[in-house]
Amino acid sequence: MAWGGVLLLAPALLVFAFLFVAPILTMVRESFRTYIPGRVGGVADRFTLENYASVFDPTYLSYFWQTFRLGFEATALGLVMGYPIAYFVARQRSNRVRRLCLGFLIAMIFLSILVRVYSLALTFGPVGMLSGTARLLGLSPNGFTFAEILVIAGLVHVIVPMVGLTLVGTIQNINPSLEDAAQSLGAPRWKAFLTVTLMLSLRGVLSAFAIAYTLCISAFVVPLVLGKGVVLLVANMIYSRFAEVSNYPSGAAIAVVMLLASLGIVYGVMRRLNPRWES
Amino acid sequence: MKRLGDDLAAVLFVALLLLTATFLILPVLTAMAMSFDARSYLGPFPPTGFSLRWYRSFLNNRGYLKGLQTSLVVATVASLVATVIGGAAAVCLDRYRFRGQQALSAFFLSPLVVPAVVMGFSLLMFFSLIGIYEGYPRLLGGHIIIALPYTIRTTLASLVGIRRSLVEAALSLGATERAAFWEITLPLARTGVIAGAIFAFALSLDDVAVSLFLADPFAFTLPVAIIGQMRATFDLTIAAVSAVLVLSTVLLILILDRVMGLDRVIGLGIYKA
Repeated sequence: MAWGGVLLLAPALLVFAFLFVAPILTMVRESFRTYIPGRVGGVADRFTLENYASVFDPTYLSYFWQTFRLGFEATALGLVMGYPIAYFVARQRSNRVRRLCLGFLIAMIFLSILVRVYSLALTFGPVGMLSGTARLLGLSPNGFTFAEILVIAGLVHVIVPMVGLTLVGTIQNINPSLEDAAQSLGAPRWKAFLTVTLMLSLRGVLSAFAIAYTLCISAFVVPLVLGKGVVLLVANMIYSRFAEVSNYPSGAAIAVVMLLASLGIVYGVMRRLNPRWES
Repeated sequence: MKRLGDDLAAVLFVALLLLTATFLILPVLTAMAMSFDARSYLGPFPPTGFSLRWYRSFLNNRGYLKGLQTSLVVATVASLVATVIGGAAAVCLDRYRFRGQQALSAFFLSPLVVPAVVMGFSLLMFFSLIGIYEGYPRLLGGHIIIALPYTIRTTLASLVGIRRSLVEAALSLGATERAAFWEITLPLARTGVIAGAIFAFALSLDDVAVSLFLADPFAFTLPVAIIGQMRATFDLTIAAVSAVLVLSTVLLILILDRVMGLDRVIGLGIYKA
């Protein structure tokens, strides 16, 4: 490669080395250090696996389990809610309606996360329009289950526009006349949709699932505000290790495990979608 | 029997569509309506009178204004730096063929799969290690690295779409490599570069998780100030801020539509927002 190429690449490589590789390595190293209460940062010369051992402690594992479970519930709900929107937009004949819907979806993606959580907290909160929801479901408005529902609502609000937009691209690439063909051969419309369009879009659904799920399990702001301190996800645990107890080694170990989990999901799904992806 | 199944499916489809749309829009509209509430306390919906008191309260809040200023400075600088650096890297990835090129492209996109909290925490530890304790440089660094994958990806996508023959035509007509780049390649890639810069700017303005780790009491962004308030008191000043943020989102979409057309945004793929 010519010198020109090296010069073009050098700034980006330098920034990535300093602001990406070095910090991740610092964090991995910190995760093996010994924590001493009252001291910020672990002790350098005492290598330990204790921080990882404590991640697999039942109390910690329950946080991980809660995160994976809530993330899964939110993602499943997000797919069920996002698919019809995508289908509606992709099969839309009017160009104006289509553009309007796309604009709406993109605006919803760009919408500030703070606006989302504040709006949901206000709407479902004691003064909001939907304040009766908890009582309607027979739950206490300050209880754990309702906080869980609010967190799921927040996550769904984040991922539905993203799932919708991803699937618009997928469904657009499926020939609508296939569904017509199934119908002309005698299938009812709903069956034609389920057996043809939905089946052909499964790859897109899987990649939408991966995008949404990795986003959900690393969610931070949604549980921070809507979880009301009772529903804590892994990201909040890392933050509390930093902000509340200054136990950096433990926070670093949780962060490493979480990083590996999200890399694993993305890698696993990518391999599923494209077996030759590795090359 | 066939008709009944289809009717049921159609009803279910429309119901789900309406429910989803309502769920997405209703809370935001509620917050916007409440931001004009005239009551001095948080009363039940709907507002009983119209006033701009919460907007005044926003404009009189030193913390918010300082945060807004920091946010705008950090977002502007970070997105500019990321656009230039990322653009240069994208040009290199597009123009030269070398070993490990695919791996390098994947590496440049890899921050996208790192959870924001992990990113913020690791940056904080690294900055402490090398002795950078001030909020401003830390925020700038953090925002540059979260913006870079986006600017690299959008610029690369638009460069790949340019037909090589156009550049070759310029070269055969006597243009130098450099002139061909500035006169042909760059103008054609402009849309992608601008879209990347807009993405980077929007992302930086909205970031909470990374900034929360890197801010200090003297340098904090608007989202950091808001989240602090949200956890302390739940008043309607934040509704006013929300309304302003919603308005700026709508503005952003109009700009995006002008610059590149919304249909093309889909092609970009949006991993994280």
